[in-house]
Amino acid sequence: MNATSGVLMTDAFLFWFLAIVTLVSALSVILMVNPLFSALSLVMSMVGVAALFVTMQAYFLAGVQLIVYAGAVMVLFVMVLMLFDLNLEKKAFSRGPGSSFLKIASVGLFAGLLIGGVVFSELMTAENAETTATLAKTDGTRALGRLLFEQYLWGFEVLGVLLLVVAIGAVALSRSKGGTHAKH
Amino acid sequence: MGSDSLEISINVIKMILIFLMMVQAVPILVWLERRGSAFIQNRLGPNRVGPLGLVQLLADAVKFLQKEEFIPAKGIRVLYYAAPVIALVPATLAFLAIPIGAPMSLEAFELFGSEWGPYRFALQGYEVGVGIVFVLGVSSLAAYAVLLAGWGSGNKYSILGALRASSQMISYELALGLSIVGVILLYGSFNFSDMILAQQGPLAIKAFGRELVIGWLPNWGIFFQPLGAILFFAATFAESNRLPFDLPEGEAELVAGFHVEYGGFKMLLFFIGEYGHMMVASGLMATFYFGGYQVPFMSPDQVLAWVSTWAPGANSAAVISSLLHHVVFLVKIAVFLWIFIHVRWTLPRFRYDQLMDLGWKTMLPWALANTILTAIVIAVAAS
Repeated sequence: MNATSGVLMTDAFLFWFLAIVTLVSALSVILMVNPLFSALSLVMSMVGVAALFVTMQAYFLAGVQLIVYAGAVMVLFVMVLMLFDLNLEKKAFSRGPGSSFLKIASVGLFAGLLIGGVVFSELMTAENAETTATLAKTDGTRALGRLLFEQYLWGFEVLGVLLLVVAIGAVALSRSKGGTHAKH
Repeated sequence: MGSDSLEISINVIKMILIFLMMVQAVPILVWLERRGSAFIQNRLGPNRVGPLGLVQLLADAVKFLQKEEFIPAKGIRVLYYAAPVIALVPATLAFLAIPIGAPMSLEAFELFGSEWGPYRFALQGYEVGVGIVFVLGVSSLAAYAVLLAGWGSGNKYSILGALRASSQMISYELALGLSIVGVILLYGSFNFSDMILAQQGPLAIKAFGRELVIGWLPNWGIFFQPLGAILFFAATFAESNRLPFDLPEGEAELVAGFHVEYGGFKMLLFFIGEYGHMMVASGLMATFYFGGYQVPFMSPDQVLAWVSTWAPGANSAAVISSLLHHVVFLVKIAVFLWIFIHVRWTLPRFRYDQLMDLGWKTMLPWALANTILTAIVIAVAAS
């Protein structure tokens, strides 16, 4: 067996398998009636994206995707969903013209994204090749860190401040009059 | 995976063997836990079946396999069946990424009538460049097993246990992640093998361009990161839901928490998941702070050189030295596993508010302080 063709074949198989898993679970996020199953499908699609990162040798991104999104953010989502009575949500989102319109609209948006991705794929792969060329020279994580803390430091810090503002805002809202943690 | 059929098959067999090793260690640990708890509480424990009660494990396994298949009436079938499997996956994936022995470099040799080129086999399931990030990422998924089990069982106790468990895991994951930033700064790498190789020989402290060597101590991470080591070990107790952090299954208030409705083999899978997490935590402790698979005071090359003096042939020397390192690693892991068991039968359970206070108000700030202090010290000492 030719070693290179074998590697290419496994790569292609892995890619299609992961892509199908990711897309099917992404679709079921909007098609599931029960919000809890939607959230779990979102987790599945995030894990799929992380695995796709691994096949592209972006190990650090894959790990961070797992730790931050699948491991922390979505756990909170699922936890909060479990605390609510979901029957009302099920009713609200499973019948009526409003919900069907939303569903059709989101499928349309998704299809648009897909078509856009295919149409502009040349553009994306061209950029990709350039970045991988720069990343290949050094250790990927190191390069990522250098980019974040040197070239894009301003944006990085602004995003951090934005997150802080959101967190403080959430606390302030919940403690203000009428909020869930209001003092009076 | 490898460049030819022999290398690929050896790598696959290696993965399966390490997985089996992890699964097979569980009955032994259960036996150790029961005998150990009996020893601590001045009882005898299971001592009737076979020598020292060791065959009790086999009897238990048969019992688990023969239990009645059961699904709670209000449960959700898919989630109820998926949860035990999901409990097993993160621990397995994480354990396979930890190096459990020195890599063996084999010279070209002849087998089955053909030449096989020089190989280098790492004694771990697979090598991941950013090992720490991978292990943290994979084991952060363990919370889902608990959540799905709680929700899928359709039982109030289950869901209360699941909610407790997941909030506890999220809280302590922060302290866990921050406590090892010091280690990453110290070794300047995310890679387990790099970290282990940085802990060779006797303790050597490099600062201001000079080097201080302390001959009677090994060059282990614990001497550079004592606070980080303590925080990390405590956080792993919370991550694997062991006492004193086993509120998710607090018997007095929740019967058995998230696995109330589970029995038989599904229950056993949760068990394997929990012990798997203990093994991963012990392996990480050894790798980060206690020199990994290395023999204290000796580098892998020195061990290989010593083995070569009496072993027949270079390849057998490489194999023997790798296995020797593996045994050293097992001894180190066993010590930490025993500490896990000893702590479980020594300390009482925390109250829930105490648990959250400890995680958010004590361990997180200390881990942050450790990170900043380490960064400053490294920056100053390197100048």
